[in-house]
Amino acid sequence: MSVEKLKPYFPWITLTMLVLLVGAFNPSFLNPASLVQLVADIVPLFIMALGMTFAIYIGGIDLSMQQVANLVTVVATVYLVQYGIFVAVLCIGAGFAIGAISGWITTRQFVPSFVATLAMGFIALSGARFLSGERALSMNAEARDASFGWMFGNTAGVPHELAIAGLLLAVAWFLQTRTTFGRALKAVGAGELAAVASGLKVDRIKILAFALSGTFAAIAGLMFSVKLSGGDANLANGFLILAIVAVLVGGTPLTGGVGGVINTLVGTLIVVVIRSAMVYLDVDATKQQMIFGIILIVAIAMTIDRSKMRIVK
Amino acid sequence: MAKTLTADKAGTGFSIRRETLVKWAPLLVLIVLCAFFAVMEPRFLSTRNFARILIAASPALMVAIGVTFVIIMGSIDLSMEGTVSVCAVAFAFCFLWLGGTLASWAWLALPFAMLVGAVLGFVNGLIHVKLRIPSFMASLAMGFVGTGLAMVMTGGDRIRIEDALFRSLLTERILGFPLMVYVAGVFLLVAWFIQTRTTLGRNFYAVGGGEDLAIASGLNVNRVRVLGFTVAGVFFAVGALLAVGRIGIAETATGNNFMFLSITAVVVGGTALWGGVGGVWNTLVGVLIVFVIGNGMVVIGLPGYVQDGVLGILVILAVILSTDRKSISFVK
Amino acid sequence: MYQLNKVDKKFPGVHALKAVDFKIGRGEIVGLIGENGAGKSTLMKVIYGAYQPDGGTVTVDGKTVRFQNPRQAMDHGIGMVFQEQSLITNLTVMENIFLGFERQFVRFGVINWTAMAEAARHQLRKVKLDIDPSTVTSKLSFAQRQLVELAKVLTLEERIDGDLVILLDEPTSVLAKEEVELLFSLVRELTSRASFIFVSHRMDEVMELSDRIYVMKDGEVVDVVAHDAANIDAIQHKMVGREVDKQYYREQKQRPYDGSKALVRFDRVGVAGKFNDISFDLHPGEVLCLVGTEGSGREAILRTIFGLEKPGTGTVEIKGRPFERTNAQEAVARGVGYVPRERKVEGIVNGMNVYENMTLSQMGNYASKGVLRIGEEKALAEEWIKRLSIKTPDVYKDCGGLSGGNQQKVVLAKWRSGGSDIFLLDHPTRGLDIGAKEDVYDMIREMCDDGAGIVLVADTLEEAIGLSHTILVLKDGKFQKRFAGPPGDKPSLYDLVHHMI
Repeated sequence: MSVEKLKPYFPWITLTMLVLLVGAFNPSFLNPASLVQLVADIVPLFIMALGMTFAIYIGGIDLSMQQVANLVTVVATVYLVQYGIFVAVLCIGAGFAIGAISGWITTRQFVPSFVATLAMGFIALSGARFLSGERALSMNAEARDASFGWMFGNTAGVPHELAIAGLLLAVAWFLQTRTTFGRALKAVGAGELAAVASGLKVDRIKILAFALSGTFAAIAGLMFSVKLSGGDANLANGFLILAIVAVLVGGTPLTGGVGGVINTLVGTLIVVVIRSAMVYLDVDATKQQMIFGIILIVAIAMTIDRSKMRIVK
Repeated sequence: MAKTLTADKAGTGFSIRRETLVKWAPLLVLIVLCAFFAVMEPRFLSTRNFARILIAASPALMVAIGVTFVIIMGSIDLSMEGTVSVCAVAFAFCFLWLGGTLASWAWLALPFAMLVGAVLGFVNGLIHVKLRIPSFMASLAMGFVGTGLAMVMTGGDRIRIEDALFRSLLTERILGFPLMVYVAGVFLLVAWFIQTRTTLGRNFYAVGGGEDLAIASGLNVNRVRVLGFTVAGVFFAVGALLAVGRIGIAETATGNNFMFLSITAVVVGGTALWGGVGGVWNTLVGVLIVFVIGNGMVVIGLPGYVQDGVLGILVILAVILSTDRKSISFVK
Repeated sequence: MYQLNKVDKKFPGVHALKAVDFKIGRGEIVGLIGENGAGKSTLMKVIYGAYQPDGGTVTVDGKTVRFQNPRQAMDHGIGMVFQEQSLITNLTVMENIFLGFERQFVRFGVINWTAMAEAARHQLRKVKLDIDPSTVTSKLSFAQRQLVELAKVLTLEERIDGDLVILLDEPTSVLAKEEVELLFSLVRELTSRASFIFVSHRMDEVMELSDRIYVMKDGEVVDVVAHDAANIDAIQHKMVGREVDKQYYREQKQRPYDGSKALVRFDRVGVAGKFNDISFDLHPGEVLCLVGTEGSGREAILRTIFGLEKPGTGTVEIKGRPFERTNAQEAVARGVGYVPRERKVEGIVNGMNVYENMTLSQMGNYASKGVLRIGEEKALAEEWIKRLSIKTPDVYKDCGGLSGGNQQKVVLAKWRSGGSDIFLLDHPTRGLDIGAKEDVYDMIREMCDDGAGIVLVADTLEEAIGLSHTILVLKDGKFQKRFAGPPGDKPSLYDLVHHMI
């Protein structure tokens, strides 16, 4: 097999190497139960990264996801008692709407998504701060258990969180590879002008892609809120950059059209393995961030496929 | 993130008017905002209040100017938070080690911090250009490295700088404005000088305006890119120094929040993310818009949360206003 | 003084230059012609240093040189005026002229703008252009930009001791007739300072300007003719390698069209700033060719039929009904297929495979409730790969990796398999080799036999004449003249050119 053929598998190879490397230094890392727990812990991040994949896959980016998730944690906490499980509908609807508005601003008003979503994030943050009264709220424990307790159980050793993530991954994967919508996303990402010249409804597709990323951000926020049993306008902070990193390390480049949700799975795992490896390998807490950055550069340098990049900006 | 097609016929009456409008729109927004707040609350116009705005804005202005150069090249630099932290911490250590007062050899800590900024920027540029990693990812990762490095250096502690002479940046006032505002002003002029009077500054525009064409003209684009990130690093360092001067503390968190703040300011000022247009004056106006909104909201007694929303809406409006739709085929 | 000896250049799968000999003397103007794909652009790139030859030698004044990049070629006095505007539009004229060579105006790190402006004025005088050097380039007309490019290359005169060789790549393609003449007289005057290599697909221009003409075909120089001995027919013969005859354009397969129905009807249609008052009918089985110079409104008419431009005046009817909402989706639904000129950008999606590209415009036919039936897509792709003999290893091949001709076949297959019967072909043979061109011509005839109507913007006038039933000549967005072109009674080149400019 030539290097050319191997390229799509670089992220997998990177992941495998990392896992084996860490396992070699500290075999307890490879203990299945701890691995499962490790993966289950990052489900909200993974879901956010899944949503981000849609935005990046069409060549855009969604910087509002973190704030959408923040907003959703507040909404979920505030309205849980009132609406019970149906608060989920409200949350997801809000995420979808914010994403769709971002998409509309991007496609119809010609504002680059980097700016449009950043600005929509500010607006969502504004909403979250208003709704929360600038306080950290906690959920009504009874209502939480009644409505969303099922999210965090275990069935046959499989945490439910993981099952949810798997389900969402399956849905996203199906959307991406098996539907006309997914095909259209790819066309828009790889060659928007050709998609227009083939008569695709490009604007609608792009708006939907951003709406999807907003939806996934909302799901991530909801899970986060239930998990931590509370809501706060800053609860999900720090997740945005990690989600972007997960997508990029997985091999979906910012230029769009390449990669996809499976890549994001690998990318998220790479990020998590790097992070947790430092704990397993007893890396000094103060050094972790720096080492994470350096490994990230190496991982990106190894992972990204440069063959379609004419100019690297 | 945007593809532009050159407009076929420039120079018609309408497009001149439009060009003029686009050029001055950010300044107009700033003036309207100031007028609005002044009408709502006359105290907004006081020197004290303006000094408050400018003190808060000075470090951000330096960081935003740094990233302006990179954005003009059509790249992006997201490493500022890390770089600012490292420069702040490096300065603090060096300063204290050399005596802890500007009246001694410790003044060398100032150029040292700028050197650190330059080195970080240089490395950032090298990673981007030599490893052929898009600047978005390269600089993002460098940002992690920077924040991490600052963490390693401080071990999570805060370092206090109590030298009265250094703190005079904040405490010493001329005409009602503290020294740091003037320092920021001087570096703004330096940036303007770089932008208009040096080959490097002009080459930023050439790279942003048409990279392949610049290469075809024999321009060493990679060199320009690396130098662009280096210059950005120096300005991040100046931002770090002013940030330390402002609060008297250097820590890992010194760089927090600079990333989206500075990029928002650059965009609101009318510098396009796809490169080639805009400049340091745009960035000045953009930074002022952001900080005037923040300050004005507080002064007229609106709750803080409104501020984010208004800023968000304004960012969108600013970009819509400054985009010539006819020349763009699609945007991502 | 400048010479190529047996220069060879190979790319994977293509032998682009085969032992090419080429020389140019002091003050000479040498023409270089050949079909698209004959190797002209590769040869030029070797000359100005963008490519390094795989074999043979390059000598300047008898000394062997090897350029690693265009900059080194410039240092030997070789400059290039690009066909696509190579000025950076957000910079001023003087910055463009001295881009990469600003050092001469820098004192203590500061650019002396006055000195640069003065030097720029000196360069602009050489090309007789009287503009302020601090004008932003985007404000100039195309003709002015072309002259600025020439001025930029002429800065070599001051920098280099030896002789200059300047390549002009299709310099006239965006110029009006008077501007072309101005440029030519300028070039003739400048031969006292430099030699020129003039590349153009306009045979008459090459004949007019050049002292000698190199004719290229399939990567070889097939003939070198002196100005006095040049004869259009003979050169054309060499270029194409056979008589450009009826066979070539499949005239024998041209059948009369069905005039009773109209697939597309334009009634006094106008789009502001592009064209106005255009009327025509497109009938089943008809090839209707729009002829005119760049900017005459040809492309805009195609885009209007495809719903990408909204007509300001008049009515457009597709199969008897006007657009309800003017957009491409509606056009596609009505059976309009668009084969754009920028094949790699608008035609195929680089990064998607053969079957994905083929069904892109008709995914609805291969999906149930939004879920794709990929098996059927592949079957379709395999069928059309066979039918049009598309050269691809399998249906999974990324279309970006196919040759130009095969990409074009994929685009055509996309529309034909989707049942389109109105085809808009914008330069469908641009950049294709001769075999691939002939395939496209065959396909056009086949589509007509199936009752499709074709609106064509051809790559060359000969092609327009050879292929079409009807020719509309346009100039500056206005209708000039209609020609009928039944087999055996085609209008001549001269007839058309006469109305074009």
